[in-house]
Amino acid sequence: MNLIRRNLPGALVVGIPVLWIALFMLLPYGIIVTYSFWLKKYPTFVPAFQFGNYVTIFTDPQYLQVFLRTLKISILVSIASFLLAYPFAYYLVFRCRSAALRTWLYMAVIAPLWVSYLLRAYIWKTILGTEGVLNSFLISVGIIDQPSDIFLYNQFAMVVTLTYIFIPFMVMPIYTALEKIPVNLSEASADLGMGPWRSFWHVTLPLSLPGVAAGFTLTFCLSFGDFIAPFLVGGPDGNLIANVIATQFGAALNWPLGSALAIVMLVVVLTIVSLSDRMERKGMVGGH
Amino acid sequence: MRKTILTTTALGALLLGAAPVLAEGSINVLTWEGYADPSFISTFEEQSGCKVNATYVGSNDDFAPKMMAGGGVYDLITPSIDTTKLMIDLDFVEPLDTAMIEGWNDIYPKFLALDGIQKDGEYYGMPYSWGAIAFMYRDDAFTTPPTSISDLWREDLKGKISLWDDKSAIYVAARKNGDMDIYNLSDEQIAAAQAALVEQKPLIRKYWATAGELVDLYKAGEVVISNTWAGYQSSLLAAEGVKVTEFIPTEGAEGWLDSWMVVKDTPNKECAYKFLNMQLSELGQCGVANVNGYSAANASAAKSCMTPEQFAALHQDDPTYLDSLLIWTPLGDRFETYTNAWNAVKAQ
Repeated sequence: MNLIRRNLPGALVVGIPVLWIALFMLLPYGIIVTYSFWLKKYPTFVPAFQFGNYVTIFTDPQYLQVFLRTLKISILVSIASFLLAYPFAYYLVFRCRSAALRTWLYMAVIAPLWVSYLLRAYIWKTILGTEGVLNSFLISVGIIDQPSDIFLYNQFAMVVTLTYIFIPFMVMPIYTALEKIPVNLSEASADLGMGPWRSFWHVTLPLSLPGVAAGFTLTFCLSFGDFIAPFLVGGPDGNLIANVIATQFGAALNWPLGSALAIVMLVVVLTIVSLSDRMERKGMVGGH
Repeated sequence: MRKTILTTTALGALLLGAAPVLAEGSINVLTWEGYADPSFISTFEEQSGCKVNATYVGSNDDFAPKMMAGGGVYDLITPSIDTTKLMIDLDFVEPLDTAMIEGWNDIYPKFLALDGIQKDGEYYGMPYSWGAIAFMYRDDAFTTPPTSISDLWREDLKGKISLWDDKSAIYVAARKNGDMDIYNLSDEQIAAAQAALVEQKPLIRKYWATAGELVDLYKAGEVVISNTWAGYQSSLLAAEGVKVTEFIPTEGAEGWLDSWMVVKDTPNKECAYKFLNMQLSELGQCGVANVNGYSAANASAAKSCMTPEQFAALHQDDPTYLDSLLIWTPLGDRFETYTNAWNAVKAQ
């Protein structure tokens, strides 16, 4: 009894995370892995152990097509987020003189996260639509005289929407990484005769790379698994891999194939996370 | 002692007062929006003492996953005639005691003859409402009204066309190709339909997934022609002041029928049958006709509760219209080939 009491805190400290992992990771993933070997058979599917679902994924061109499209969209979203987020974070950390303004600007990036994802995605429909805000504006300033339909229901609209939604996940890690860089490093670099651009290129940017890697990983993985944006603002060529998985679990009633797709997707995401993790660690070793 | 008796009497009175409601209980229905509309369901709740909790589906594809995940939650469901067979084969529903349903014999014989709601000589579905998958266009976009499915393949309408994101897209394309036996297409015919849909894809603004989405697309001026659930979206658009016209193309239209099915081993059988009787009576038949603009399965109930104009507008007096519709049919083990073809189109 005494023994248990003495070891209880220790058991809890180890036990809760282990239980958590077992319950919320291993169990559901185990179920999905199991399903992925099952066989589709009217009316639903039957237990089996075969690799047919994986063979389908790699032989039927429709899955590769959607997979490549998802890859493309996620990379574009990550790049767009990076190009916008880096200068913004840089300004906040190094150029913004007023602490109050810095807090406000930082909050302006974070605050949208408190608004429902669906609402934020929906708003882009009203902005980009044929009779939307953007078209009305372009017509009123005389840039175009007919409303254009090139803004909504295509991959461009999806990249814009996803960038808007996931950009906080790029700003936050970059901001944190930049904030950690001692100011005297770039001062030292300037003292040694480096111009501001070369100082940035050789000192600041390399030191902030772990943050950039973290940001890329987050935005990429989040976009990679998205299926709402294609539904709301994507066009006929907007199907992403998560939509295909949703279809397999719904309309097609083919959970085995859907599970196999989910596993393939999981492998891709885990590969990217571990690559980025390695990069971040390398960045840290180089930095300190 | 006296006090105890008083308390007991008071409690007894309370229990008695509450008893009718408690005894009847409540039912959970998994159905389409409008099928449990307060405009007629509240009358039913008052009369029967059965409380109705409705959960809504967005598509027929929602029934199986919802039933598989949460069996035992629902008492009644209303899949369409292409999904009813699946529910029977999945063993989710039980045979109906048609003797307990008043008005059963007033249902259109054509519906009672359908294979999708029966198995081994027993009925599993009670036909409720029906309609066409008509086509629809925006009045101000056409000088000559469109008449054919081919109008959804017209180059000059590029970026203004919408199509339902459903396997029924294959039915549409097959008819355009001249393959009229749309529920028994061969692999070659399905491949041809798939090719036609891929060819159409650059002209499509957006595939619509929900009724509300199609209404939004028309309202926002994004599309001018599409297929639609006859009577439903057009009346929502009319209420918004958008002028649209429905039409049955020369290649014909699919027809659908929704049936009420009783979930296997429901503990609320009494309320469930009261509910079925109400839905097939004037209250339910005109209820859904007024809310959703769908036609009624019980012609005699419809005749007594509809105005002559509504009766005619909903084609209740027009057996040839009903006969002209290609009523959805369960695809069985061909289902996968159809859905796979449609998914391949969307993957392009």
